[in-house]
Amino acid sequence: MSGEDPRYGEEVRRRMATLPGAADLPPGPGLIVAGAGDREQGAEVLLQARVVGGRAVALSFRAFGCPHFLATASWLTDRLRGHGRTEFEAWDWREAAAALEVPPSKFGRLLVIQDAVRTLARNWPGDDPSTV
Amino acid sequence: MSDVVYLDNAATTPVDPRVVEAMLTCLGVGADFGNPSAIGHAPGRRARARVEQARAQVAALVGAEAAQVVWTSGATEADNLALLGAARFYRARGRHLVTSRTEHPAVLEACRQLEREGFEVEYLRPGPDGIVEPPQVEAALRPDTILVSLMHVNNEIGVVHDIGAVGRLCRDRGILFHVDAAQGAGKLPIDMDRDCIDLLALTAHKLNGPKGVGALCMRREPRLGLVPLLHGGGQERALRPGTLATHQVVGMGEACRIAAAEMAAESARVGALRDRLWQGLAALPGVTVNGHPTRRAPGILSVTIDGVEGESLLYAVPGLAIASGSACATTSAEPSYVLRSLGRSDRLAQSSLRLSLGRFTTAADVESAVGAIGSAVERLRAVAPPGERP
Repeated sequence: MSGEDPRYGEEVRRRMATLPGAADLPPGPGLIVAGAGDREQGAEVLLQARVVGGRAVALSFRAFGCPHFLATASWLTDRLRGHGRTEFEAWDWREAAAALEVPPSKFGRLLVIQDAVRTLARNWPGDDPSTV
Repeated sequence: MSDVVYLDNAATTPVDPRVVEAMLTCLGVGADFGNPSAIGHAPGRRARARVEQARAQVAALVGAEAAQVVWTSGATEADNLALLGAARFYRARGRHLVTSRTEHPAVLEACRQLEREGFEVEYLRPGPDGIVEPPQVEAALRPDTILVSLMHVNNEIGVVHDIGAVGRLCRDRGILFHVDAAQGAGKLPIDMDRDCIDLLALTAHKLNGPKGVGALCMRREPRLGLVPLLHGGGQERALRPGTLATHQVVGMGEACRIAAAEMAAESARVGALRDRLWQGLAALPGVTVNGHPTRRAPGILSVTIDGVEGESLLYAVPGLAIASGSACATTSAEPSYVLRSLGRSDRLAQSSLRLSLGRFTTAADVESAVGAIGSAVERLRAVAPPGERP
């Protein structure tokens, strides 16, 4: 038997090796947080971003779910770094589906992550008191 | 050799080297390769003798006689032949069957086919311990019940049914009793006469024999009627036509011989390893065992690990060959119907693992598994959102 599980693409395997971005950002100015999903449904994510000058300069995540879900959350912490609120609002789960070769049976879980990203956009500093 | 710790013996087992050796004597030039139906010449007769020796070995494992054994391709075919064959043969007597919700799909899907043919099937729900008790079966019986099917050992959680008690209450009422013994045979004693079993399904690959061969054992007297699933050359009393795979059936015979000879010692050894495995996993917070705590086969341990998603846990232990709480027969991520039947939520069912030990499992394997699972659980819980923690 070869070592690689064919259910998981290269990016998922790379992410799952160390789960970069899995952490809490330290409290402080510009920190926004957003959660989505439900552990009972098998997928829950908490995204954090630090916004400085209208840009997300750092992101992190916590997640409960399958490898595709965890890897997508990790991937997002790199993908959205440096972007502003407009990009967060417009981000679409299909980009992650393609980049991480997520099977259609798990597309619903990517919508959970999209919900969290859009909630981050709604919580953007200056627009909403939910900024921590 | 693989560097993976293999703890998925309930899915299949490696073939015992002694079995391989026996099978090789039925392959190749000069071996007993003949068609066992071609008894007009010596090679055919030698093959026939090997097949009949294997038949006796299989029968001996389950307290039967050789004439009661019909070769099949495995337990799935044996279950189908038993259920479809008996129900169709005895349909004039009644059209009601009783089984449990936690049977293997080989039984459940055969029952669904019978429902499509006009039969009525009652699917009993086990208790939270995973066991269907004899009084439940008794309460479900009706005057038109023709057959009860109950597995000996559950393939996902390892609990053991009181087959003898169910068999006796069926026998008293003249109702056929079918047992899927794929997981229990060779690990726990089972006896067709003592346990009043009319039809018993076996497979070789769960007891260190080859894949692709199994058997349906039928009661001795009075002889049962079955409508065959296949039609052909009349082999196996026309119940299962087709040229017998001599090397396969000889392999199954040898596997059954070894299992019978070593059952007591091996069950004790494997049971002790399973207990050590449970002891190690139970030290983690939020870990519970699925199924009855003591009425269980020695080799199967099913646990729920709260706060960890099962697929990610499997991913995080690449050095272990184990099974998740998802549907066993597919790559589906659907939670196990067995665990849901026990009242587990979808989330807890998804957070479950089945670890199954076998003849070649060692104490070092168990320690490796405990360590690897513990590390993976700690890592996955650390990245989960804060909230309710086990």
